[in-house]
Parts: sequence; structure tokens; C-alpha cells
Amino acid sequence: MRFTLIVLLAIACGTRAAEPELLEPDKAFRFAARLSDARSIEVRYQIAPGYYMYRDKFQFTLAPAGARVGAPQLPPGKKHRDEFFGEVETYRGDLTIVLPFELADASVPALQLSAISQGCADIGVCYVPHEQKAELRLASLAGGAARSDAAPGFFSGPGAAADDTLAARVFEGGFWLAIASFFGFGLLLSFTPCVLPMVPILSSVIVGARQPITKTRGFTLAAVYVLGMAVTYAVAGVAAGLSGAMLSVALQTPWVLGAFALVFVALALAMFGLYDLQLPVALQSRLADASSRFHGGHAVGVFVMGVLSALILGPCMAAPLAGALLYIGQSRDVVLGGSALFAMALGMGVPLLAVGASAGALMPKAGPWMETVKRGFGTLLLGMAIYIVSPFLPVAVQMLAWAALLIVTAITLRAIDPLPPGAHGFQKLSKGLGILALLAGLAYLVGALSGGRDVLQPLSGLRVTETGGASTETPFERIGSVTELDERIRAAAGRTVMLDFYADWCVSCKEMERYTFSDKRVRARFRDMVLLQADVTANSAQDAALLRRFRLFGPPGIVFFDRDGREIEGLRVIGYQAADRFLAVLDQALAFRR
Amino acid sequence: MKARAVAVFAAVAALSAAGGAAYHLWSTGRSAGSGTDPAAVVERVLATPLADVAGGTREIGQWRGGVIVINYWATWCAPCREEIPVFVRMQERYGSRGLQFVGIAFDQPDKVAAFASEFRINYPLLIAGLETLEQLRQAGNRAGVLPYTLVIDRKGNLVSREPGGIKEARLESLVKPLL
Repeated sequence: MRFTLIVLLAIACGTRAAEPELLEPDKAFRFAARLSDARSIEVRYQIAPGYYMYRDKFQFTLAPAGARVGAPQLPPGKKHRDEFFGEVETYRGDLTIVLPFELADASVPALQLSAISQGCADIGVCYVPHEQKAELRLASLAGGAARSDAAPGFFSGPGAAADDTLAARVFEGGFWLAIASFFGFGLLLSFTPCVLPMVPILSSVIVGARQPITKTRGFTLAAVYVLGMAVTYAVAGVAAGLSGAMLSVALQTPWVLGAFALVFVALALAMFGLYDLQLPVALQSRLADASSRFHGGHAVGVFVMGVLSALILGPCMAAPLAGALLYIGQSRDVVLGGSALFAMALGMGVPLLAVGASAGALMPKAGPWMETVKRGFGTLLLGMAIYIVSPFLPVAVQMLAWAALLIVTAITLRAIDPLPPGAHGFQKLSKGLGILALLAGLAYLVGALSGGRDVLQPLSGLRVTETGGASTETPFERIGSVTELDERIRAAAGRTVMLDFYADWCVSCKEMERYTFSDKRVRARFRDMVLLQADVTANSAQDAALLRRFRLFGPPGIVFFDRDGREIEGLRVIGYQAADRFLAVLDQALAFRR
Repeated sequence: MKARAVAVFAAVAALSAAGGAAYHLWSTGRSAGSGTDPAAVVERVLATPLADVAGGTREIGQWRGGVIVINYWATWCAPCREEIPVFVRMQERYGSRGLQFVGIAFDQPDKVAAFASEFRINYPLLIAGLETLEQLRQAGNRAGVLPYTLVIDRKGNLVSREPGGIKEARLESLVKPLL
């Protein structure tokens, strides 16, 4: 029994583990389109962190033939100098493009938009030109709604990517298919940590009942609880259908999510036994009143608990829910919206019904064991709190939070206490899990402190510095401005100075570093010089001033200064030079006397 | 009773795990398609005529019998450009021993031609055609990443596929035993 619970927890926690290293282009560049008015389409791309798109590579086409696309209104991007193309602009994060269009035949029911885009990932790959499509229903134009085949996500939780597109795709079948799919979707959701906090709530409701519990009664109570939950979600569905997409968007603000995270923390602390969570006395007595007046009065309390649970846990479900609500909002189909979410909640409730039907057999009996389960749920709740606010936290803070949670959990699991002789199997298991948690926590701590930037790969920060070791050990001193440069040159009095202009995007700069600067003979000459480097990747005003000073348009460029600090004219190195030629230049610079 | 409870829990957990796995397979496996047998893919890649930068058409199959390194790239793809000098060097070093680089660019011919002359590319550059993307996916590159490099031995066997930039040492260690 204890073991099955652990397995369940492990499954629930494992759902987020398998994130591929490189995203499919549809996930790296999440695409959505809608009609903003009768003359223009709003195209949105959600570009995953670490990925970027090229501003001048978008191509939009519309079908059928009567529709024509005008010039897309592209916001300015971030400018880079490209060695081969000159200036190149790229986008990161959220991108909205307004696409004007003309329609010769007003009776066309729908438009098919095809968008071809090009983008790359920072880890050093690009994608072949990628086509994404959306259907835009003109009939719904009056309401300002449209339909795209990828539900636009206004949220950015790491787990959200798959769920919302799934939810949207589901609707391509008929009504009953949608209902059935949502039921199945709910069943899958029931094994996410979101539903787990409902189990102890339900168990306390059922176990706390006064009469001895029969199976039928247990099942009925669980059903009433699930019904309360389902009605709440159905109301959310109907509200979304009536109000448009606003509901799910409203949920995804830092304040709302932060507030819910606090609720989670409060619930977690209650689980840890810091205080007792109880309904307000007034409400409690009214419920007791009701239960004494009606025969099934207890059911009302259970129903209310179901409603409350759904409200409390709603934001936890926000990512998958938002996609569904958003679609419902756009379709404005109240019946479908309400029924679909009702079915989803029923699906989510199936394991709870199983718990109820077992009438406490599956339920932990009160005792020290119950305390362990409660602490387990408390830990999960804290984890959920971190998870739902993670879109708004810097990665380092997220990692520190995970580290703290994992390490504290490890200690409560007695990871570092010695096992008593003849330890119980469960004690050994718990110590093993504790040590795993401790190691994972330490990994996050090390990762956070060493500048790791990926929650799923906490130690990737270390790997980067390892492979990048070659460039960090180059003996250059970085300078950031003209005044800094002058200072360094003055300080170098009597020695030859070499100034290298560098940028991350500069191919030949990297070649110079890799093949030329690493040459032993070059390194030997370097020892007699002061080596300065200006990293102009950011292209700031300071960088521009530095480049202007030497009449350079950008890297690559290497400038030498003689022992008196004046530039050695005619000895610049522009572009890649192999070690042999570069050595000759270095010798000239070192031998230069005015 | 306890055993039954455990069984119920295990069954529900197994069902949902199976559901999750099925969804995963469904969502990742859709683009797999058929005909991904490596030998058949290489055969198609070698037999497909593609435009070159000079306006003619060529089949990679004409270099059959040598060790062929096919590099999928584009001029707008910065990580692709970074490894081009490596290919140029290795073509120079091992070309006489039967190594043949071929670049296939997802790009406009004029851009490719300009790039080729600026970087002094000493191996043939072809322009990706309609089938190229599908072949690239069948060769195992489902997401369609660039650069992507295939190493094919003298008998026409696919020896290695390398997504992303490839280090000179790695490519050398792959190619040298085949020469």
C-alpha cells in the first residue's frame, strides 16, 4: 500500500522529466494566427528561450486565390552585424506580426494562411525553412474570433507546450468525440500532481463522516465531491464561452499566479502540521445545521468541498486548461465548452471515485503513517507553488527554490541519518529516495551558483564552461569603452598592445581564436604584449564608439599600438589569418620603433 | 482487501502510464513515415538530381566509389557557416585520397554562389530541391535542423549522421578509416 503511493508519486513527478534537448520547430516557434479585423490578420510566434527567428525571412501566403497578402508589419528586431549579409535582425520571445490582406470574393467562408519562417537555436543549429498553417474563419469575423490549428498559448510553463495544442486538436472531431477526448484528457490529468492534493481532502471528508462508511456511501460521497468539482469547471467553460478568451489570460498574470502559489504554500504548511486548516466556524455550523435537517445533508458539505477544491487547484491546471478555455472562448460555443470541461473534470475524478468506492480501504488509516502521507503532499504542494510561478521567476531563483525544497525533503526523509540495525524495508526505501532528493537538490544548488540556465539540466552551466574553456583561457583582457582602452594603453607603458575586436556572431574571430591564437609560437609572442579585447556582440553605444574610433564597421579587426601607445598604422589585421602570416605581423609589431 | 486495493491502484497507474506512453508515441511518431531504411534513403539521396550554382543539374551518385560527406546547410545559418572552413581544409587534405564533400543548401542560388566564392569553397554545392527536405527527415533528421552532415563510405553505406556543427577532429576520426 505504501509502495503503491510512492509509485504514484514517482509517476506524477516523472511526467516532466523527458524533455528533449532540441525542440521540434513547432514547439520552438509556436505559431498562432487570428483575424484582428476585416483587413488584417494577427500572427503570433512564441519563441522558446534560447531560440531566435530572422526578421527578413518570413513569407506569408493566403488561399484561396482571391485573397492576397499585403506587406507584413514586422516590429524592429535586435540588430546583429553578420559577416556575410551585413546587418541582420532577429527576434526572441514573443512576436506579433500584423498582416494586412485583401479579399476579392467576400463570400469565401475561410482563409488558409501559410507562414514560412526561418530560425535557429543558440546551441548552434538552425531549422530548414518551416511552414506552419492556420485556418481563419471569416464567418466569425463579426465577433472578432477566428480559429487557428495551434491554440495560441498566452502562458509559458514548460509543461504547457504539448497540452494546449492537444486540447485544440481534439475539437477537430465532432461534439461527442470532443467530449470523449476531454474525458480521457481528464483521466490523464488525474495523474499529474495537481489532483493529488484532492486525495487527502477527500479522505478527510469521507473518513470524517460520522456514520460507519459503507462502499455505496463512500462512492456516493466521492461522486458528490467530483460533481462539485465538475460543475465548477463547467461553469468556467461556460464563462469562457461567453466572455471570449479573457478568462485564461486573466489567470496568467504574475499577481494571480503568485496569489495561488501563496495558497499552495499555506496548504503545504497545514500539511506539515504547522496549523489546522478548517472552514470558518460560521460556515461549519451552517453545514452542520444543514446536515441535521436533511438526510443527505453531509453531501452538501462534500459538494462544497468539491467546488472549493476545483477553485483552489484551478491555477495548477491552468496550462492545459488555458488552451481549452481559449478555444472555447474563440468558438463561443457555450454548450460545447460547458460539457467538455464537465467531462474533463469527471475524467479527473475517476481515481477519486475509486478511492471513495473502496470506502477507506485504500485510504490510509489515521496514525503516524497518515502524517507521512501528509508531509509528502505538503512537499508536492510546495513543488506546485514553485512550478506555477516559474514563468515569472529568473531561472537561478527557480533552481535555488528547487534546491531548497529537495534538500529539506531529503533531510526529513532522514537521508543522512544512519539506518538502525535491522531496518524496515520502507525505511531503506525512504532513505534511498532521500539520498536521491539530496543529490538532485545539490545539483540544483551547484547549478544555480555556477550560472546554469536550464531547470531541466541544472548542471549544464558547468558543461558550457568546460567546452568553452579554450576561449576563456585566451589571455585577453576585456575592455568595454574608449576611456577604458586609453587607461589600459597608458598602463601598458613600454609594451606593445594588441586590441582585438570580437563578437559572438563573428565567424572569423572564432577561427582566429581556435586556430591562430592557440598556436604555440603565437602564444610565445603574446607573452611580450598586452592583449586587449573588445567584445562588441551587444553593439552598445560604447561598442559603437570604440569601433568608430578605429573607423571599423565591426569585427573582425585587430589593431596594434606601439610602446608609446600610438596606433601602428598600416598593420591592422582584418579577417582571418593563419598562424604563419599572423606571426609575421606580430613580429613587425613587436619590432616597431618610431 | 489490501491486496485488492493495491491491484486497483496498480491497474489505474498502469493504464494511465500506457495512455501517456501512447500519447507520447502518437505525438512524436507522426512524422516518422515509412521508407526510413538507411540504405534506401542513401540510395534516394544519391539518385536525386539537384541544381548546382552554375545552373546545371547533378546527382551526388556521380561521386559513388569515394567517401562522400553530404553537408546540409544554408548561408543564413551562422552555425553552418562556421564549419565550412573545416570542410574546405579537409577537402584539400584528403580529396586526392577519395574524399568528396558535397554541400546541399536550403537557400537561393545567388547567395550560395556569392558565399562559395568568398569562402573559396572547393567542393560542389547543390541547391536543395523539393524532395530534399523529405529525404533529410527520412535520414533521421525529423526536426529539420541545419547543419546536418551524412558520411557515406565507398560502398554507399551510411556510416554516420551528425546533427549540428561537427568538430574537425570528430569528422577526421570518422572519415580517415574509410579512405
